[in-house]
Amino acid sequence: MRILTFGWEFPPVNVGGLGKACQGLTAELMMQGAEVVFVLPRTQSVDSSMRFIFADIGSQHPAKLYEIDSPLRPYQHAQSLLEVVTPDGRRVRLSRTVIEEVHRYAAKAADIAKQETFDLIHAHDWVSYLAGIAAKRVSGKKLILHVHATSYDQAASDCVDSDICAIEYAAFREADCIVTVSQFTKNVIVDKHNVDPEKVEVVHNGNEVHAPPQHEPTLVAHRLEGKKIILYHGRITVQKGVDYFVRAARRVVDTNPNVLFVISGYGDMKPQIMHLVGELGLSNHVLFAGELWGVERDRLYQSVDLLVMPSVSEPFGLVPLEAIQHGTPVLISKQSGVSEVLAHALKVDFWDIEEMANKMLAVVTYGVLNQQLVSESQKELQTLSWRRAADKVMTLYRRLLAWVTLRR
Amino acid sequence: MLTICPYFHVHQPHRVKRYRVFDIGNDSEYFNASDETDLNNGRIVRKVAEKSYIPTNKVLKELLDTHPEFRFALSFSGTVLDQFEMYAPEVLESFQEIVATGRVEILADTYYHSLAFFYSVPEFERQVAKHQQRIHELFGVTPRVFRNTELSYNNDLAKWCEDNGYLGIMAEGWDPILEWRSPNFLYTPTGCSNIKVLLKNYRLSDDIAFRFGNREWASFPLAAETYTEWVRSHHGNGNTINLFMDYETFGEHQWEDTGIFQFLGALPGMLMQEGDITFKTPSETINEYDSVGELDVPHILTWADTDRDLTAWIGNDIQKDAIHKTYELEKDVMRAGDPALIEAWRKLQTSDHFYYMCTKWSNDGDVHAYFSPYESPYDAYIAFMNAMSDLQLRVTEALKRRHVEAEQSLWEQFVVWLKKRCARLPFINRRIHTHTS
Repeated sequence: MRILTFGWEFPPVNVGGLGKACQGLTAELMMQGAEVVFVLPRTQSVDSSMRFIFADIGSQHPAKLYEIDSPLRPYQHAQSLLEVVTPDGRRVRLSRTVIEEVHRYAAKAADIAKQETFDLIHAHDWVSYLAGIAAKRVSGKKLILHVHATSYDQAASDCVDSDICAIEYAAFREADCIVTVSQFTKNVIVDKHNVDPEKVEVVHNGNEVHAPPQHEPTLVAHRLEGKKIILYHGRITVQKGVDYFVRAARRVVDTNPNVLFVISGYGDMKPQIMHLVGELGLSNHVLFAGELWGVERDRLYQSVDLLVMPSVSEPFGLVPLEAIQHGTPVLISKQSGVSEVLAHALKVDFWDIEEMANKMLAVVTYGVLNQQLVSESQKELQTLSWRRAADKVMTLYRRLLAWVTLRR
Repeated sequence: MLTICPYFHVHQPHRVKRYRVFDIGNDSEYFNASDETDLNNGRIVRKVAEKSYIPTNKVLKELLDTHPEFRFALSFSGTVLDQFEMYAPEVLESFQEIVATGRVEILADTYYHSLAFFYSVPEFERQVAKHQQRIHELFGVTPRVFRNTELSYNNDLAKWCEDNGYLGIMAEGWDPILEWRSPNFLYTPTGCSNIKVLLKNYRLSDDIAFRFGNREWASFPLAAETYTEWVRSHHGNGNTINLFMDYETFGEHQWEDTGIFQFLGALPGMLMQEGDITFKTPSETINEYDSVGELDVPHILTWADTDRDLTAWIGNDIQKDAIHKTYELEKDVMRAGDPALIEAWRKLQTSDHFYYMCTKWSNDGDVHAYFSPYESPYDAYIAFMNAMSDLQLRVTEALKRRHVEAEQSLWEQFVVWLKKRCARLPFINRRIHTHTS
């Protein structure tokens, strides 16, 4: 079978969870015999054996480039200006809004769908939904929408982006099947978008299961001082709950001043968080590490005692799996998809600062707890492979392609 | 004649509340959750009383009244008896009424439902003695047959029981230990000469305790007639069928709507109908039948899981850490000698605390097999270790106080001695009196 897949970003260009998930899933689908044609909006370098089509909406409709230093996620708000990374690694902002770009992508998708032959359409995240619908209208093939996040997660409240929400509503109705990355996200679209639960399949994301290379430790001076280190890594936005992390840090330091907190990442909430750190008198206990990628990020994972993901609303959450892979135990919010698949993780409601602090302190106090969380969660990680996710997606493809439904 | 020898185990632990790191040094109550969670001990005891203890005792009392030959045994942890007194005194009375018939035997046990035998024999002995005293106080009887926490058993424990005058001891009738032999006979533990071991027939016991309400089970719904046929098929192939299970099987593990109470009410009459099956208490069974051979159990055997060992309690690192921390404290707790500290320490020895930290399900994929009032084994460990840390702090402080007192009394002794020595010198004697009064 040949699958026409629409995505928005793809490694090795520095991307968030969406690109990594697309790469992990499609690579495994190819292993299992599906032929994936992957469409991306803009030309970029890719290191994959898959066939790529670049819609190149950027080059056909040249837009003015702005260099920017604030790396907002490209799909955070429909009306925010689009941001891309140039081949030499600079972040630039286009004069177009994301919503304009999404429509251009859809127009181009219709052309691509006319030229290509394929059996099914699979579109990842809201930025590709319109492209998927356009392809469906042209070809009459069945459409699968893959929900990696919803407008409700992005907003972390009911104050959602109305443009994104409108696209989601319409697209979910037109799709033949919807895949969500967690039960948590399925519940959101069933509750908020009134989607028929029968139409939704939960396919949890997978993760790289191989042991990563060990790097030189970082924060050595602090470690030599006997400090315990607790890490937040990710975007600094409302959705991610970093403010709860900082408030819990205050509670921890009151009991054990020997703990250092590291916040790694960028986001629109960073000034607010820095202000909060000052207000709570935590300047000596909180380090801002900036935005770290690749080896730098991995060194940090390997050098800390605990990673915390305090998300207010997290469709899945790849960061805890990465930390576990690097041998670090995790404390995650119950409001995350990944908490559905991780048993050997500490869990907390994001708003329960007391309990979050209690668990942080337990990890730095009881060494055996730390030890067991690492060894057991690493074993557990082995079961959370992309192969398992691809198995489910393949079954779904076959079901959608069945001309005759056999009765038992 | 075939004997049926049932024993029902009655137990509730003192569950540790969500005790946080910040509570260490500030809150010395570990077991007083008063919320709507399953950590609220009073709430649980009252709930189980309503679902299980009260209706089951009603059925058992009726059975004892109707069938003069009906007999069984009960084992109580001290922790459940204390909680009945606190939260459901009517349940305790209904048990006393049943035991007063003289046809219900009570078994010996550890007071705190602990695994102390395997960590500290002196502490184990203190708990058994306390249990014996409590049973005598409440029921006016002295147990003669021993059963240990979670039916844990080995040759050493059997020897201890023999040396301490017990007639018998309970154990799991597990095939790998028995090999070709049957659990439906009595055996002599290796290294013992008088005591006999009664083995649980786990198939027939678990048909009721585990499978009764399982709709997927081929024999569901199980009728008393069918069960009677299964029992009867053992005729000529054994002396006694020992049915050991949690008392809470009736109404709590198997809910009322499974028909468990009707089953229990009908079974004894059905079994005794033909006159070839009779009920006996463990002591009667031991007196009636001879041992048919030796049973060698060098390693700890329990009634749990397919491993029948202690791995559900002390299988993983956090469980081992928690139980070692507990028994490491023994010397200091006993030296400090404060009854409140000793009591708290013993309540923390209850095996359930360690069971809640079990992570074996992640290998079996059977989450539901391990019921716990905590959201995760790690939450159980954290609450437990925080409480243990507070206890440790209190013990250290108590020891310090004692040390100061001891020093003071040494000074006082010195003064007394000095007074005596100086009694002959009136002048100095007067001076000392003035100083010390």
